[in-house]
Amino acid sequence: MTARMRINPTRCRGHAVCALYLADAVEIDRWGFGRVVEADLDTRRAVRRARRAAAACPNGAVVVADDRDRSGPPATGSDPRTGAGRW
Amino acid sequence: MTGLDRSAVGAGTVAGSGRVVAATEGSVRIGGLGEPGTVLLSGPLPSAGPEPLDDHLGRWGSLPGRDGDGVLALARASRLDGRGGGGFPLARKLATARESGGEPVLVVNASESEPASAKDAALGAHRPHLVLDGAALAAEALGVSSVTVHLHRRAAAPLDGLTRAVAERRRSGHDGVTWRVSLGPDRYVAGEASAVAGFLHDGDARPRFGAAPLAVVGPSGRPTVVANAETLAHLGVIARLGAGPWADLGWGASPGPRLLTVTGSVGRPGHVLELTGPGTLGDVLVAGGLSAPPGAVLVGGFAGTWVDGDEAWQVPWERSALSCLGAVPGCGLVGVLPHGACGLVESARLVRYLAGESAGQCGTCAVGLPRLAAAMEALAAGTFRRRALRRAEALAGELLGSGACGHPDGVVRLVRSTLSVFADDVVRHLAGEPCRHADHPPVFAVPGAHRVSDGRRRGGRAT
Repeated sequence: MTARMRINPTRCRGHAVCALYLADAVEIDRWGFGRVVEADLDTRRAVRRARRAAAACPNGAVVVADDRDRSGPPATGSDPRTGAGRW
Repeated sequence: MTGLDRSAVGAGTVAGSGRVVAATEGSVRIGGLGEPGTVLLSGPLPSAGPEPLDDHLGRWGSLPGRDGDGVLALARASRLDGRGGGGFPLARKLATARESGGEPVLVVNASESEPASAKDAALGAHRPHLVLDGAALAAEALGVSSVTVHLHRRAAAPLDGLTRAVAERRRSGHDGVTWRVSLGPDRYVAGEASAVAGFLHDGDARPRFGAAPLAVVGPSGRPTVVANAETLAHLGVIARLGAGPWADLGWGASPGPRLLTVTGSVGRPGHVLELTGPGTLGDVLVAGGLSAPPGAVLVGGFAGTWVDGDEAWQVPWERSALSCLGAVPGCGLVGVLPHGACGLVESARLVRYLAGESAGQCGTCAVGLPRLAAAMEALAAGTFRRRALRRAEALAGELLGSGACGHPDGVVRLVRSTLSVFADDVVRHLAGEPCRHADHPPVFAVPGAHRVSDGRRRGGRAT
């Protein structure tokens, strides 16, 4: 099973609960906001832990979605190759 | 498709543009509204105001009839790239929305949010029907019956041009679509695609987080195509000239003609020029009134990339050539910094403005951008010297990729290119030498110095 994890930066308020579940996949920046460093969840265990983190986040900022389209640029932020944002 | 194109030109419906094609093949043409050698900007002089529908059709001929597949094939064959800033291929947006299920939403994004850019305003104010032609074609490709034209509520001239044009088309029953005009707030990030789509859905003009592209599913739950006004105007031209002849008016990875706004230290800041053929940035600067390379050029937008003046003079205005200098065409902004001005001071002002334009939704952007601006200001002022530089570099690294939209990424791009292009100035400022250009008046006009960043902002309602 593969899935992809994202943190919705518009919801994250820096509780850092995600980092308790996902120490390897999430880092907390200097202001306490979470950032995904490993978005691809390749094992059942990784998916399970990400789903727990999603359930535990008080703001519902952790999003786990089935991986559908890897080919396009990231839907959020911008594509470093083209500078294109969300299309 | 070639047959159709030939017949359109052969029938003399686009006599003017046919001449343009012949004249510009292989040669560089740069001109403003109504000047010879232009394509999108061809037609009456700016003093004539918005071109009426009859005049427009008299010059260009009526839109050749095509089905949705035909329009999509045309967009694909032309390789038309988005002109709002992202450079994303229009055909891919259209194809994705068609495949995604549900009735798509089509939005003409004429809300030019880059403060120094004036190209979409020029089209809206003077060539509105070319934009609406392209929108009608895109509607055909998507199979939708309604199109929303979105622009800033304070953009008086393009608003007047586009609303008049919409009224003319409604009266004439020219297209099979229902036109709507929507007015949003004139904030920097409010023109971003997901912010526009969101505003139309619920009146909140802030960028949206989304796991999927808008063309798959937008804020309304429907596939949403937000296309820049210039991009659609090109589609209107492509339908007349044909994909190949249109693409040949560009260069390499940047097919077709393109609109550029020249600003900063030039004779007419905010002048919109159309470039056709294999032109360099130097050619554009000459057309803007320069006779020698300037100190530096800001390419692509306020959140763009500095290019050294001598390099800028040589570099082709073409995506892959610009990318060698770390730049992207963006919205086509060409900002001229004269030799007598300080790039660090100018950049610090831009970063401070852009920091104030954060929508305040994403923590890292809301907190980090003002600090990045402070670091750049300290560097420019020569205070906290080494610490300011280290801090700017560290903050840039943390801000990159931190937002729901590309706003922080754009500011990081500006900061990084500032530190590399003005590396000599950085060294001087670090050495504590007083900045030789500290007294130079601001080169780029940054709007709304009176505005105070208050974090959240909500937009008004669509009309």
